[in-house]
Amino acid sequence: MYFYKTGIAQIDGVSGGIEAGTNILLLAPPMSSAEQLAYAIIKPGPGEYSIVLSTNERAAEVVDFFKSAGCDKKFIGVIDAITKSSTPATADTPRLTFVSSPTDLTGIGIKFSNMIESIFEGTFADGETGLFPPPIRFCVNSLSTLLMYRKLEVLYQFLHILTAKQKRIEGVAIYLLNNESFDDKTLSLIKQLMTGVIEVKVDGNDNYFRIMGIRGTQADWQKFTINKGQVTIVP
Amino acid sequence: MISTGMVGIDDMLGGGIPRGSKVLYSMEPGVNGQLFMISAIYEALAKDLSCLVILPHTTVDAFLHDAANLRGSMLQITGRKIAFIDMIDRERIQRSAPTRDAAENEWRARINKLCKENQTEVIFGYFDVMYEEFGLERGFNLLESCPSDKTPTIIIEHLNFEGNHLLEQFIEKLSFDLVVSIRATFGLFPHFNFFTFVHTSWTPMQKRSVPFIISNGRIAPYIPKIVVTGPPESGKSTFVATASERVRSIDRTGLSDDTTPVAMDVGWLHWKDFDITLYGTPGQSQFDLSLPMILKNAMGAVIVVDVTRPDSFARAKHLITLISERRMPLVIAANKNDLPHRMNEVEIRTALDLKKNTPVFFISAKRNEDVRFVLESLVDFITQFSY
Repeated sequence: MYFYKTGIAQIDGVSGGIEAGTNILLLAPPMSSAEQLAYAIIKPGPGEYSIVLSTNERAAEVVDFFKSAGCDKKFIGVIDAITKSSTPATADTPRLTFVSSPTDLTGIGIKFSNMIESIFEGTFADGETGLFPPPIRFCVNSLSTLLMYRKLEVLYQFLHILTAKQKRIEGVAIYLLNNESFDDKTLSLIKQLMTGVIEVKVDGNDNYFRIMGIRGTQADWQKFTINKGQVTIVP
Repeated sequence: MISTGMVGIDDMLGGGIPRGSKVLYSMEPGVNGQLFMISAIYEALAKDLSCLVILPHTTVDAFLHDAANLRGSMLQITGRKIAFIDMIDRERIQRSAPTRDAAENEWRARINKLCKENQTEVIFGYFDVMYEEFGLERGFNLLESCPSDKTPTIIIEHLNFEGNHLLEQFIEKLSFDLVVSIRATFGLFPHFNFFTFVHTSWTPMQKRSVPFIISNGRIAPYIPKIVVTGPPESGKSTFVATASERVRSIDRTGLSDDTTPVAMDVGWLHWKDFDITLYGTPGQSQFDLSLPMILKNAMGAVIVVDVTRPDSFARAKHLITLISERRMPLVIAANKNDLPHRMNEVEIRTALDLKKNTPVFFISAKRNEDVRFVLESLVDFITQFSY
């Protein structure tokens, strides 16, 4: 069994990382550091790959974050669901792909499958290969935006398939959701598809998280900061 | 008939799609099958049909660029009879219509107006957003309300999360004429795409699945393996070489300086939109142990027999028995018909103890047209065979 290191001592120290096949819901209010936390967790380790489905930031901005965190961009893939609506002629590259809008679940599904396929075939990283079978980290940033474009029932069905594929390829995935904009029914339905939940809160200028459902971790609130993709727990 | 834009698939459907039909391309999430719909759009425009394309998930510009990337050439819309309703129109409707009923009326009004203005002959709809907003019957009813003089053909693509249950509703409640399900086997990643003709109203066709690959912007129905076998020196290697655009042969020179395959001949050909791989086996009985491996996943077989050598038919009969156990389409290529011989079809059938539905073709494996005719018949057989 492969374990994905997170850089968070509360996870790595207890169980050696997140178990392969885990799907995590990251619940957070707006204006928190949740996005940076998610990216920090899915930042690829040596020999690993990361894919981000971005409905909020352009592909170049996502890649810049990972570069600033010291990652090799050859192991980062982005499915960008915003650029194409303003720049229709934007063309796909092997690692940066574009769908016309977050409405386009057909396109998102295909781009995701194609990226996974190219990683397994060894054509993703300009001929460089990592570990095999390839450990793949995946982030959906964010479910909140997808829910603005598609109904909950449809998104649930889509996520049902996505989380199952994630398990099958033994990846780890994190899905961001704004917990202040959606009702309890929405949150509990989406939680059903997840293995664990990380919840973020903001108190004053400080960010806190707590982890639920990930083996060996405690559900206490932890104050944290993030700098260049590195999570630091503040005692 | 309206072409699907894919010659091989048109042939399977008896020439294409009858005008006025309702067609569904059902897409399993994650499967790269968008070219089915796009091929039909390109073909309809090339035939100068008046089209309405409904794209609630994207803009016209983004769609045209995506289609060009998939197809390899830009869709030529200048001077063509084509109208669009896209994501921007949908957003306008959402903003202006306070209720679902009002939105439905607005959709209907726009579709009606464009259909009337253009005398639309084919409507292409990306349906899943309309299904989500209005449900199956009300959503589809919007497309059906097109007031053209002639009933337009309606072709929709739908991202199907609900599987066969939803397909049955398209067939039973909405009387769809053609339902094609586009799916993939998914292990670690999708490695095997295939389409299934779930239902056709105008031609009696059993439900059947055909693998496909995407090659140069085209859907290529893919027959991954046709096995060519027969007694030694019956002409199998010649058959594979004549049929193939590319061929690899693993040979060993025999005592008589003839080359006899001791592994196999492998040939590839692209024909009538199909990509086909031929595997020619050695004919000697000592290779029978490897035959099950070679036959594994084969979709059909050609038995090549030498009509000048009735003494070799016992061996051919044994090979037919081995293949029949696998239950796959089988044809007999009675080779060397250009040389003097006495065997007629009845004698061949008797000698090989053939079933009535096993075709026998008299050929010369050196003649391309003979070999292609055998393959054409076998492909036809394969595409109608219920595996």
